[in-house]
Amino acid sequence: MKLGIGARITAVFGLGALVLSIFMGGLSYFTTRHFLLAGRESAAQHQAFANAVLVRSNLLGGDTGYVTLLASIDAGDAGTDAHSVLYHGGKSYVSSLGVNASSIPVRLRREVLAGTAATQTYRTAQGTAEIVVGVPVPSVQAAYFEVFNLSDLDHTLRILGLTLFVAGIFTTLLGVGLGRFASERSLRPLADVSRAAGAIASGELDTRLDPDAADPDLLGLTNSFNAMVDQLQERIEREARFNSDVSHELRSPLTTLAATLEVLEAERDQLAPRSQRALLLLGADLRRFQRLVSDLLEMSRVDAGSLDVFLEEVNVSELVQRSVEAGARSLDVSGPTPAVLVEDAVRDWHVGVDKRRFERVMANLMENAAHYGGGVTEITVRPGGQEEEVEVTVDDAGPGIQSGERTKVFERFYRGSAAGRRGAGTGSGLGLALVAEHMRVMHGGVHVESSPPGGARFVLSLPVLNGHEAEGDV
Amino acid sequence: MSGRILVVEDDERIRSSMRLALEGEGYEVKDAASGEEGLDLFAEAPTDVALIDLMLPGMDGFECCRALRRNSAVPIIIVTARADTHDVVAGLEAGADDYVTKPFVAKELAARIRALLRRARPAEEEPGALTFGDLQLLPEQGVLRHLNGEEVHCTRTEFRLLCELAASPNKVLSREQLLDRVWGYDYFGDGRLVDVHIRRLRTKVEADPAVPQHILTVRGMGYKLVP
Repeated sequence: MKLGIGARITAVFGLGALVLSIFMGGLSYFTTRHFLLAGRESAAQHQAFANAVLVRSNLLGGDTGYVTLLASIDAGDAGTDAHSVLYHGGKSYVSSLGVNASSIPVRLRREVLAGTAATQTYRTAQGTAEIVVGVPVPSVQAAYFEVFNLSDLDHTLRILGLTLFVAGIFTTLLGVGLGRFASERSLRPLADVSRAAGAIASGELDTRLDPDAADPDLLGLTNSFNAMVDQLQERIEREARFNSDVSHELRSPLTTLAATLEVLEAERDQLAPRSQRALLLLGADLRRFQRLVSDLLEMSRVDAGSLDVFLEEVNVSELVQRSVEAGARSLDVSGPTPAVLVEDAVRDWHVGVDKRRFERVMANLMENAAHYGGGVTEITVRPGGQEEEVEVTVDDAGPGIQSGERTKVFERFYRGSAAGRRGAGTGSGLGLALVAEHMRVMHGGVHVESSPPGGARFVLSLPVLNGHEAEGDV
Repeated sequence: MSGRILVVEDDERIRSSMRLALEGEGYEVKDAASGEEGLDLFAEAPTDVALIDLMLPGMDGFECCRALRRNSAVPIIIVTARADTHDVVAGLEAGADDYVTKPFVAKELAARIRALLRRARPAEEEPGALTFGDLQLLPEQGVLRHLNGEEVHCTRTEFRLLCELAASPNKVLSREQLLDRVWGYDYFGDGRLVDVHIRRLRTKVEADPAVPQHILTVRGMGYKLVP
């Protein structure tokens, strides 16, 4: 998974805070520990040496009441949790049940018995920290050991450690929070840019970033963004102007051509047979050219998003019946008007459509069937697969459309496997693409499947109106 | 059928071809290259129909319609590049009776003109005088007037639409029926023609056009006249 920049900034801040608090916490913990321990060690040494002097003077005086001696030493050391071990004459004596000779680490004992004073800090098998200070007393062939319990120091250090740990967690969380804040702050201008870009993409070409409100560091971004949108807007407007100019420029000569052609056609009988044939050709191709131009302009309006749609509520079976009749009239290919089968369930259903747009849809499908499918075999109106939906199916007698091509046929100028069968006088290559666009703006859809005998079946779907929810005045 | 037609179109070739085609259909054509010239021609000698391109240099087609409408009830057909824009509604609201889109077929244009010039339907089907609110409709005399005798001016198409509604008071007529009877359109006629004309009629016959009392909309069905 790839982390976003915001998450990464937050992670870096959190990680930084974590490393910093581990470092600072560790430093303070070990420094404190070092100083506390050193203090305790030197205090222990002082006390042990003082007690060793006491032991020596007692032993020199011939006093062998070891237990009393050691007890008095322990009593004198009130305030520290210390116990004494005394080696004298090959025997060891202890001041309390809390210690015994084996408490003394072997190496230290050997060193001290050999005549060197030594100190060692260690941890017993029970887990308590202790300092032992060994002082040889050569004058009486004895060795005095004092064992100091450090559990209070341990306790202090544990509390310190815990405190530092909590502080570390707190610092890390603070780091994460700070990171999130910083990332949000630094990404806010980008969010503004993204919002503005979204608005522009949805057609609000007047959207700009406010240079006065922009972060001084990001003024460059703001300015170049605005400059880019200026250019984009200009280009789009130029294109729209161009389209409308082209539309006007093409329509004018077409209007003249159509009107004069009609004058000639009205007087066809007076022309020579050769001229009559020429006129026939001219008329057919002029109509084809008109159709092509109007399809292209329709498509350019779809692209410019400047289609206005007027939906009105009509009875679906009447709509289909009338559209098929009109489509059959406008088709170049002559033949009987295909029958429309209306299922009883949908007979009184109403849909919200632009009637003339729907007529174009039916005409295009019928023309497509005539050119590629050997003509329409069946048209049905039936309840759709979804609730509140009606379907109009148009079947043809052709070889059908392969499943891989079933979405592509709705692309513009798509030349599929059907290309080879293109005859004279075929459509603009936009017919099915326009069918899809017309259905889309009427809140419906179109797809193609296979009819039971294997031909193509185009299926139009439209939402059904409940009661009186149509738009418009009526 | 004959009649005189004023053609206002700035493109000289289109103008000539329209003249040829319309003359071929038996009409007498007067043409103008601008709105101003068209208005002058019409003031000199009124025609039976006016055909006005919406895209004109100088005074545009909408303005030309409004100016013509101020003094005359002549049927006006606007010529527009596109059917699916608000231009059509704006043109109808400026006073046009019908529209055609470029490139148009002369036969179709002739049919539109014929429909607009057609007299109100045969006399036996014509409704007798009808009074609604403080208005009196006299179809045979082509008059709509207040009970105090003051005449209400409406265009020929508005008057015919009102007569159709008045021929069967309280009965709902669908847009398709009205399009067929008034404009001569088939099923695929533009329902906006009816809607805009109904709006225009309401401003003339209703006390408050926003809350109509006589010309009522029946949602999903059509319109009806309630005396």
